[in-house]
Amino acid sequence: MSSIVGSPVPRVDGRAKVTGAATYAADAEVRGALHGLLVLSTVASGRITRIDTREAERSAGVVAVFTHRNMPRLARPEYIGFLKGFIPVQDPDIHHSGQPVAYVVAETLEEAQHAATLVGVSYDARPPRAVVADAMDEAYVPPPGLSGPNETTRGDVAAGLAQADVLVDVTYTTPMHHHNSIEPSTTTADWDGERVTVYESAQGGHATRICISEALGVPPGNVRVLSPFLGGGFGAKGPVWPHTLLTAAVARELRRPVKLVLARAQTYTSHGLRAEAHQRLRIGARHDGTLTAIDHVSTSQVTRTEEGVFSQSQSSRILYACPHVHVAQRAVRLDLPAPSFMRPPESVGAFGLESALDELSYALGMDPIELRLRNHTAVNPETGEPFGSKHLLECYRRGAAAFRWTERDPRPRSMRDGDTLIGWGMATAAHTAGGRPGAGARVVLSPAGKAVVQVGTHDIGTGTYTVMSQIAAQTLGLELDDVDFQLGDSDYPFAFMSVASATVPGVGAAVNRACTTARRSVIDLAVTDPRSPLHGIPAEQITAEAGFLRATGDSRRRERVRTVLARHGEPVEATTEPVPIPPGYSVGAEFAEVRVDPRVGRVRVTRMLGAYDAGRVLNRRTLRSQALGGAVCALGFALTEHTVVDPHRARIVNPNLSGYLLPVNADIPHVQALFIDEPDPTSEALGARGFGETPGTGMTAAIGNAIYHATGRRFRDLPITQDKLIRGANTL
Amino acid sequence: MSDMSKDGHSRRSVLKAGGVTTAALAVPGGVAAAAAPPEGTAPASTAEVTLTVNGRPHALTIECRVTLLDALRERLGLTGTKKGCDRGECGACTLLIEGERVKSCMTLAVMEDGREITTVEGLARGDELHPVQEAFIRRDAFQCGFCTPGQIMSAVACINEGHTRSCEEIREWMSGNLCRCGCYPNIVDAVRDAGNGAGR
Repeated sequence: MSSIVGSPVPRVDGRAKVTGAATYAADAEVRGALHGLLVLSTVASGRITRIDTREAERSAGVVAVFTHRNMPRLARPEYIGFLKGFIPVQDPDIHHSGQPVAYVVAETLEEAQHAATLVGVSYDARPPRAVVADAMDEAYVPPPGLSGPNETTRGDVAAGLAQADVLVDVTYTTPMHHHNSIEPSTTTADWDGERVTVYESAQGGHATRICISEALGVPPGNVRVLSPFLGGGFGAKGPVWPHTLLTAAVARELRRPVKLVLARAQTYTSHGLRAEAHQRLRIGARHDGTLTAIDHVSTSQVTRTEEGVFSQSQSSRILYACPHVHVAQRAVRLDLPAPSFMRPPESVGAFGLESALDELSYALGMDPIELRLRNHTAVNPETGEPFGSKHLLECYRRGAAAFRWTERDPRPRSMRDGDTLIGWGMATAAHTAGGRPGAGARVVLSPAGKAVVQVGTHDIGTGTYTVMSQIAAQTLGLELDDVDFQLGDSDYPFAFMSVASATVPGVGAAVNRACTTARRSVIDLAVTDPRSPLHGIPAEQITAEAGFLRATGDSRRRERVRTVLARHGEPVEATTEPVPIPPGYSVGAEFAEVRVDPRVGRVRVTRMLGAYDAGRVLNRRTLRSQALGGAVCALGFALTEHTVVDPHRARIVNPNLSGYLLPVNADIPHVQALFIDEPDPTSEALGARGFGETPGTGMTAAIGNAIYHATGRRFRDLPITQDKLIRGANTL
Repeated sequence: MSDMSKDGHSRRSVLKAGGVTTAALAVPGGVAAAAAPPEGTAPASTAEVTLTVNGRPHALTIECRVTLLDALRERLGLTGTKKGCDRGECGACTLLIEGERVKSCMTLAVMEDGREITTVEGLARGDELHPVQEAFIRRDAFQCGFCTPGQIMSAVACINEGHTRSCEEIREWMSGNLCRCGCYPNIVDAVRDAGNGAGR
């Protein structure tokens, strides 16, 4: 039996993307659109005492300059998609550096850019606080956030630690990070009377619609958000940020469309960030490697106006069988922009846990894979319930074999190539993938035998267009070419944001349900129609595949789906409402090889490999790309990326791509991805689970662990840059 | 006001600009909006240029400060070329000028008068994709696709330059184009495929 699902078909939107025809939000052609530009605060805390817009207003091409004095008043959205505790340009208060203080609108971009430099702002500034370490005395556990409580306890950690033969007590620090999708966030708002069309770089078009509706006081039905292509988000474009609301408000006020594209530097303070984190892990184990306790206390920054913590320590809670676990996600309030989630949210905690386990493996004299095997759990240790499926043991086995792990000499500094030190490290990858509100879907089958399937979701590069087309074609029994899957329009059925590996389980389930209903309608049309060769056969005995309905057991009795629909003469429709998706857990085993030049402290990652359980593989080609992306992201986390803050002024000093170093092509070696490809029986998305976040969770620790194996030195402060290595180069 | 006069703007334009602003501010709760763009209150030197893009000449009167990237996107409606950083760091705006790869955000449109510019929209011949475009699809050398026009233009040049003799060489010579989705290994495969197919 041929199967469209599981086939590595090329992306259905590939042609649009390689020809420049794909219309990202800033590519929308909106006639008469004015250009907006934000003016950002240069202090981090205080009040505006004077703002002089006269010169800017006189500048050529300027249509308006909005400040807190004349910006329309907006209501702060209550919806969970709005993370910011306030809307800027509403009052003179300054909560962080880089906060919008004025909004310039001009006929051309250049005129807006010039005028923005002419806005004069004076502040009554207070000394800000910008360093997590300076505020540790005030760390507290914030109330539960989007992903649940910030403190959980299982068993009795003190007792568990007391039972340990070996104890690891280590602290890791990871810096602030920024998403840095190559497409900067952008909004174009175009009003027609009381209705607005918004071209938005959104991972959550429905979230954007709801927030604009609440902020501007217009019915949700009057707001249409379009985002057919997204130039990467990595979490930055999931929540809705003030610049979107301000642009909608300004366009309404001026009665002209306004287009705002954030400058690269402005993205560092206009949307979220990954918070700096200090993690102390105390892990106890018996001599045989059995874990007796995990105490994982992390402290990261929040602000004086927001207290969401987004770096979840899920791995410590549910990845291993351990009777005594305490996880606390503490926060300190700094004068910096609001943190949010960043791909993958669970990677910070996972880095801590998987590094500490590596340290434990050396303390025990045990292979790091063996240590993990001894603490494997088939059930969620918090609930005692089995996971939908969890083929992690197979991941370790296949990953280790492909990496040739058994050839590893476990002693640090033991593997060399001339003067070059070689290290092999591994870690478990794991991320939750579900437990979100889900999606609805609409399918319309035309008399011509074509299907249009619509969901208000997004393709953030993950392959949503392609895999949803596959699910729809398979479920409807059509050829792939007969399906047109449409997304990125908030007039389509609701979908939760495309975040947290929730799109495949949520949208996939919705597409499956809607198409199953539509298929049944088509079958009913055939079996009840005397003109059909399938007339009279019970509907349950009809299958749909590759454009044909067939009677099971009598393949000669068949009819084209197109023929049935043509005879019916009118469209067949089906719609499903959103259903919350069950929790999923996608796991894997990740391996890295590094080569360290001890003379200059240079680390090159020379091999990365992951073996993953993502449930059923819908499309190996797009899934593999997600695995590569996770590995590359993790390499940046481990070796190159950090947002640097001036501790005195609380200003980001490297808001650009020459100071904030993303991995480049030359940094990335061959990356191998293996998939177990066993369906998760609890997944309505034909057995597939969300996966995009998982591959970024283990590789960071795997690289750090490999560097330890190569050098015998444990770097607990990321990124592991050349200067840190060279500081002890004579000992390498 | 006096600063503007020093810059040499006409008295008339200064008065006009000031008058409009004052009138607008007098509206209670209103927006400080100018009814029409005041004349000559900003650097307004323009030039007549002809940008030949994908074989087609476009005559433009354009301010000298406008980058080639913004001229393509905002004046000519050619939005295939992307703006990622506007300062030459990401490579999303890469295109070809006389066959050489150039970051169009670092180039003023007036500098390219009369020269042959090729963007991602100009690679395919009708329905027939350029071999690099085909290779990018086959190798899944993109995810979100936003850096892709720049990657593809860089790849075309990389192959023409002869920098595809090994994967290491391709990695090095494709490192001016950032991909945040992390498709680098697939990009290398695509460039190698297309380079080999080019019959060298």
